[in-house]
Amino acid sequence: MEIVVCVKPVPEAESRLRANGAGTAFDPEGVKFVLAGYDESAVEQALLLKQAAPGSRVHAVALGPPGRTDEVLRASIALGCDSATAVTADVPAFHDPVATARELAEAVRGLGKVDLVLFGKHAGDDEEGLVGSAAAEALGLPFVGFVVDLRHDAGRLRFRRSVERGEETWEAPLPLAVGLQQAWNDPRTATLPAILRSRKAPIARRASGPPDAAAGSSVAERFALPPPRQGAKMIEFKSPQEAAEKLVRLLREEAKVFP
Amino acid sequence: MVDFSLSPDAESLRDLARKFARTEMAPHAAECDRTSRFPEEIYRKAHALGLMNLNVPTEYGGSGLGLFEQCLIVEELAYACGGMTTSTIANCLALEPILLGGTPEQQRRILSPFCSAYQLAAFCLTEPSSGSDAGAVKTRARRDGDAYVLDGEKCFISNAPHASLYTVFATVDPGLKHRGVTAFVVPRSTEGVVVGKDEEKMGHRASATGSVRFERVRVPASDRLQGEGDGFSLAMRTLDQTRTPIGALATGIAQAALDHAARYALKRETFGKPIAEHQAIQIKLANMTQAVHAARLLTWHAAWTIDRGGKGTLESSIAKCFASDAALHVADEAIQIFGGYGYMKEYPVEKLLRDAKLTQIYEGANEIQRLVTARELLRAYS
Repeated sequence: MEIVVCVKPVPEAESRLRANGAGTAFDPEGVKFVLAGYDESAVEQALLLKQAAPGSRVHAVALGPPGRTDEVLRASIALGCDSATAVTADVPAFHDPVATARELAEAVRGLGKVDLVLFGKHAGDDEEGLVGSAAAEALGLPFVGFVVDLRHDAGRLRFRRSVERGEETWEAPLPLAVGLQQAWNDPRTATLPAILRSRKAPIARRASGPPDAAAGSSVAERFALPPPRQGAKMIEFKSPQEAAEKLVRLLREEAKVFP
Repeated sequence: MVDFSLSPDAESLRDLARKFARTEMAPHAAECDRTSRFPEEIYRKAHALGLMNLNVPTEYGGSGLGLFEQCLIVEELAYACGGMTTSTIANCLALEPILLGGTPEQQRRILSPFCSAYQLAAFCLTEPSSGSDAGAVKTRARRDGDAYVLDGEKCFISNAPHASLYTVFATVDPGLKHRGVTAFVVPRSTEGVVVGKDEEKMGHRASATGSVRFERVRVPASDRLQGEGDGFSLAMRTLDQTRTPIGALATGIAQAALDHAARYALKRETFGKPIAEHQAIQIKLANMTQAVHAARLLTWHAAWTIDRGGKGTLESSIAKCFASDAALHVADEAIQIFGGYGYMKEYPVEKLLRDAKLTQIYEGANEIQRLVTARELLRAYS
């Protein structure tokens, strides 16, 4: 099976973000971009499928400036991906999802015959969740989202899909594009020798195409951090009754959690 | 021009160590300290990830890192638990004499099994009556045909209770002092090797420390490292390599103490404001920050010197000594900032003080580091 995982470089969870000069995105200067969350699970899922079907290959693809893509692609190789492709584009931290999807789809097409394209359900930074389905459309592949536990069985895939109050069990033929639900699979940690090897691994590079007027043109207008949280309010009391009365009054009048 | 930034490669190794330290080691640090449990499952995971035999070349299946990368990893591990770090890096110490003095045949035969599967080795130099005075070892090695017979006792040996191999320094003639010291590798399974109990320690309680007695232990001459009388120099050259990571270990403990203290100072209020707003506390935090930065930079400098082919005796002695003194001081001040809470075992800082203390003692007591520093200094003037 030829499996592609599209991975997005996202800021490290502990990053302290600030707005860029134009106030339209966070300033990527000094921010460390990593393979995180859903994409890490997607890589893990791809590697599990590869283990179950020997001879399979896993390709990682990412879009962005080399400073961002290379770290996540090397991390993917260190985890066990066989090859990596960077679509080099000087895109802002928030890039139009349909344009991103088209660029990724071109890169996936460039890899030749592909049986399965995996995406995290959504990215760990903007949480838009649009790229997977848009890329599937651009590739002409069927897309199923919110998937867990993919298994390969004689040219078909079996998987489960979380739905409200339950779960569906699916079976689908290849080729297919899939958006994976959150980390159910306890992603592996790359070993030190694998990390060292990944540092020397080749990364195939594609230049991004010219701006596509037909591909969506959504532009982030404003980026702002949430206002600082207000400190907790301490209730002073002499008896439990007094504490309860004051708490109920605060919940009703200030927090407005009851009418 | 000198460059203090980490390469992306070095950063990726540090990130691995940080992730492992914070997700695998830190959650068990307090429990292992309290119960003095040796968390073998954590050491097995460290081995599986390649975090154990850091100095063993890749051709034998080790990680093959330079000293600088080793130090980055050791600092991250020690941030989570000093004791677990001691046990994780004890193989580096025990296997270093084989790297420095082993024949290619010995290296292949002895080192490879440590990398292909989880196993521990222990460096046996210290004896009940000789620690810093390493030339005065009493453990005897008597030649008998194509073998040696070892008799004697080693103590305070890291990982001894769990090790499968011992690197042993014995003397072929006590009258020769340091010129009689000879190094051997001795499998634990050899008849006459008696492993003592795990000692109760003040700190590093997730690590195991014990004695090993050699009762008429027959060691083939093929397991002698270098020639008779070469052991003292081999031990010293080994410590020249492994001293610097102890500086990194101490820096990790100091950084942890500083982080705990700074966070607590911002949260704890006295006289109507967070104690971090009182100058008395700010001055403490500033001094602690200076100590941590200096410890790290001295350690990096020593590692850099040795990685560039320098001997690094002066640099590594300064780094180990300064960083371990800094760790004790910073942990002490962290407790002071925590006040009564800091003295309680429920809070994490008193463990850091107990763990820091050992770094002043092991792998060359700080008094010896100062003697070495003075000797190297004066040599430059004479």
